[in-house]
Amino acid sequence: MRIIKVSVSLLITVGLVYFLNRGWNLGAPIPPLGKFFDPFHGFWQNAVSSKPSNKSLAIPGLTQEVIVSYDSLRVPHIFAKNNDDLFLAQGYVTAIDRLWQMEIQTHAAAGRIAEFLGPARLDFDRRQRRLGMGFAAQNALQKMESDPISKAIVDHYTRGVNLYINSLSYEDYPFEYKLLDYSPEPWTNLKCALLLKNMAQTLNMGEKDLEMTNMLALFGKDVLDVLYPDREPVGDPIIDKPGKWSFKPIVPDTGRSALPPELISLKPFEKSPPDVGSNNWAVSGSKTATGSPILCNDPHLNLSLPSIWYIVHLNSPDVNTMGASLPGSPAVISGFNDSIAWGVTNAQRDLVDWYKITFKDKSKKEYQSDGHWKSAKTVIEKFLVKGGQPFYDTVTYTHHGPVVFDESFHQESESAHFAFRWVAHDASNEIMTFYKLNRADNHRDYMEALDHYVSPAQNFVFACVNGDIAMRIQGKYPVRGKEEGKFILDGSKTSSEWKAFIPNEQNVMDKNPERGFVSSANQYPVDATYPYYIGATSYEAYRNRRINQVLGELKNITPKDLMKLQNDNYNLKAAESLPLFLSHLDTTQFNDQEKKAHQILMSWDYFNTIEAEGASYYEAWWDALMPMIWDEMDSAHVATRYPTTFNTIYLIKNQPAFSFFDLVGTPEKETVTEILRKSFSKGVSNIEAWKIKNKKDPQWAAFKDSFIGHLLRLEPLSYHIIHGGNHDIVNANSRTHGPSWRMVVSLEKTGVKAWGVYPGGQSGNPGSPFYNNMIEPWTRARYFTMHFVTSPQQLTGFEMSSTQLSPAK
Amino acid sequence: MNFLKQTLFTIALCFILQYFLPWWTLALGAFVGGYVFANNGWISFLSGLLAVGLLWFSMALFIDIQTQSILTEKVARIFPTKTPALLFLLTSIIGGLPAGFAALTGSLVKSKR
Repeated sequence: MRIIKVSVSLLITVGLVYFLNRGWNLGAPIPPLGKFFDPFHGFWQNAVSSKPSNKSLAIPGLTQEVIVSYDSLRVPHIFAKNNDDLFLAQGYVTAIDRLWQMEIQTHAAAGRIAEFLGPARLDFDRRQRRLGMGFAAQNALQKMESDPISKAIVDHYTRGVNLYINSLSYEDYPFEYKLLDYSPEPWTNLKCALLLKNMAQTLNMGEKDLEMTNMLALFGKDVLDVLYPDREPVGDPIIDKPGKWSFKPIVPDTGRSALPPELISLKPFEKSPPDVGSNNWAVSGSKTATGSPILCNDPHLNLSLPSIWYIVHLNSPDVNTMGASLPGSPAVISGFNDSIAWGVTNAQRDLVDWYKITFKDKSKKEYQSDGHWKSAKTVIEKFLVKGGQPFYDTVTYTHHGPVVFDESFHQESESAHFAFRWVAHDASNEIMTFYKLNRADNHRDYMEALDHYVSPAQNFVFACVNGDIAMRIQGKYPVRGKEEGKFILDGSKTSSEWKAFIPNEQNVMDKNPERGFVSSANQYPVDATYPYYIGATSYEAYRNRRINQVLGELKNITPKDLMKLQNDNYNLKAAESLPLFLSHLDTTQFNDQEKKAHQILMSWDYFNTIEAEGASYYEAWWDALMPMIWDEMDSAHVATRYPTTFNTIYLIKNQPAFSFFDLVGTPEKETVTEILRKSFSKGVSNIEAWKIKNKKDPQWAAFKDSFIGHLLRLEPLSYHIIHGGNHDIVNANSRTHGPSWRMVVSLEKTGVKAWGVYPGGQSGNPGSPFYNNMIEPWTRARYFTMHFVTSPQQLTGFEMSSTQLSPAK
Repeated sequence: MNFLKQTLFTIALCFILQYFLPWWTLALGAFVGGYVFANNGWISFLSGLLAVGLLWFSMALFIDIQTQSILTEKVARIFPTKTPALLFLLTSIIGGLPAGFAALTGSLVKSKR
């Protein structure tokens, strides 16, 4: 009897411990409850107080002592005695705050998310592998490791990250590891390369070749040229110096392949929204109050937590630099040093092509190229899947690149195979650029640093204490014939391939222009006399003109003026379109709600401030208008893409009888007036529905409902914010995207001064007060002083804690 | 009286074990408590449950107060618990339940009947 009782009780105990010691999937995945809730080791241990303590750590591999002083913003100021120690410390310190983020972003780049998040992410993973993200990172790694300087940088950064990982036990793991029940794996140099490719994917994979090919078949070339002009009739390119391009350009071959006639019914990937973009500018001393240049940068990205950027200050006898770094990559990416400042915005350029491949047979071992059969390479990709069996995918590589779409992926037809050519597949070593920029003293050094830079193509703004300002649109750009790259290309003809690239010295650039400032905001890069054909998915049409207008007018500029400009909410798009839209409305036919909406719109000053109700009505109207105008595209049942905002408004203004203003689904023939009337009613009723649902007035910030989401899309770790602006506005905060790092640098001879802020915090830990502490100041257009000093002693008074890293015996 | 002794003993032992070792060592601590004091089965069970439940609750509360509930509220909303109060209760039960059964096992092993 007793033995039975003992056995039953023991069994229950052991069973309970077993149950609570492992993760389960009970509808939703749950972590191992015992481990996770254990207040001695589980998630409770991730809660930290705002007063960190001083630490002294012995670090193997360090050659000399390194001091890391954290200021009150938790910005690490790293003081090392040589570069190797400096990068080791950067890796170590970044991992302390951002380890989970660093790893999950590189897993995402490599197509390994299903391994931790389950089978729902397998399609994403397959896409990443088929796009050749790992292939691209491997190529970059080889180049990076072939140069002794960049190899030493990455080796030491990696070692630093691994030293931190090795020091961890379960209770120290970042919160997300505990929640998802896995452990960090060793960091590698390859992961540094993957992280940069992740950025390249966000910024430089924009294309609409499949969509354009479909629309060519649907609408014909003449209509297509109206819908997607190569260059929209809107001024202000980034570099405007007509007639001054005196070099001898490379001339592309003639006799390119014919236009493709077919409709392609595959499902293209979700595209980066046009909200991804950025602003940067530099004003020369002739326009500033101090007589010294001021440089500004604000990259617009998907706002997420942990934050995209990590502010860091790197100091060694060789360098003193500070600014925003990307967790997972050594060096400072957008920042300043004692002599110069630099910043980046995305360069809009078509750097992607799709080639239709003709295989000899189903084995896909050979494919056609200029009448011969060329051998293809196959790579078997293994995917680990959380809570499921491993999945295997065969990816075929042609000399163009990987075959992304085939019968097993995103399409049904067995005859259509599309290979992907992407400039970021090519070997490159961007780490050298940032290493050299961090150490640059003048314009010559900046130019030399950029010569190493390939991808993602960026508009690099520059300013120097000596008074120089500059802009260079740096990347590796194929020399393209007119219209080349707009459509799917014939992969069986080598004549349609990239043959040459624009030499670095022929890239678009300018130094000290007469107007006293340089600026970029993702607009068309250059005046019409630049001798190369330039294409891109789209160009920005509004922010850039507003920036240039304000910069042109300002005199005696102070950093405060430029902070104001970074937070400028003027809606140039509305200013140019709303009066036109309103002029089409017959005001005698309104119901009460429409009457009120009309009044609000009439009295709106075109500023998308937090309170502006006019901005909400305008946006609701616009959101109803676009699908009505371009309903032909939605009803085509193949992938298409709407024309740009600018071109849509241009057509409304200049071609009111354009056939697309007719609604396909109605028997009547609508004109632009009727479309505007219908979309106005729809917009107003959408606002009314919103008012009822939310029980408040549609003030712009409330209506927009901007959101900064945790990378796992967990609502409790995310924030809804109250902030103005929108896409197409200088303060580019749309619902999900926005200025991810605002920086202002005054390059004064007596010492460089800088201010910065981003919507998040230095710590990636949701249990830290530094997880979200900068969000609120960011929404209020506030900036923090960057304590740019040369020794730890100078931080006295701003210092929160200090960590001393000493070489381990 | 023995109930109180067992409970205090288990709290102390589990605190030490847990401080250095993984969470499941609480079962060992509670088992020893049950064995040493040899209380009647259900009293022993209650003692184990209460001891580790209280230990986990206190430790969690200590962290919560020290960190101004910075993570408590967030995690409470990730799980169906929704509120911090239920999160504390869940934490206590997850620690207490295996401890209760371990203590019961301990007392049953010792008992002569």
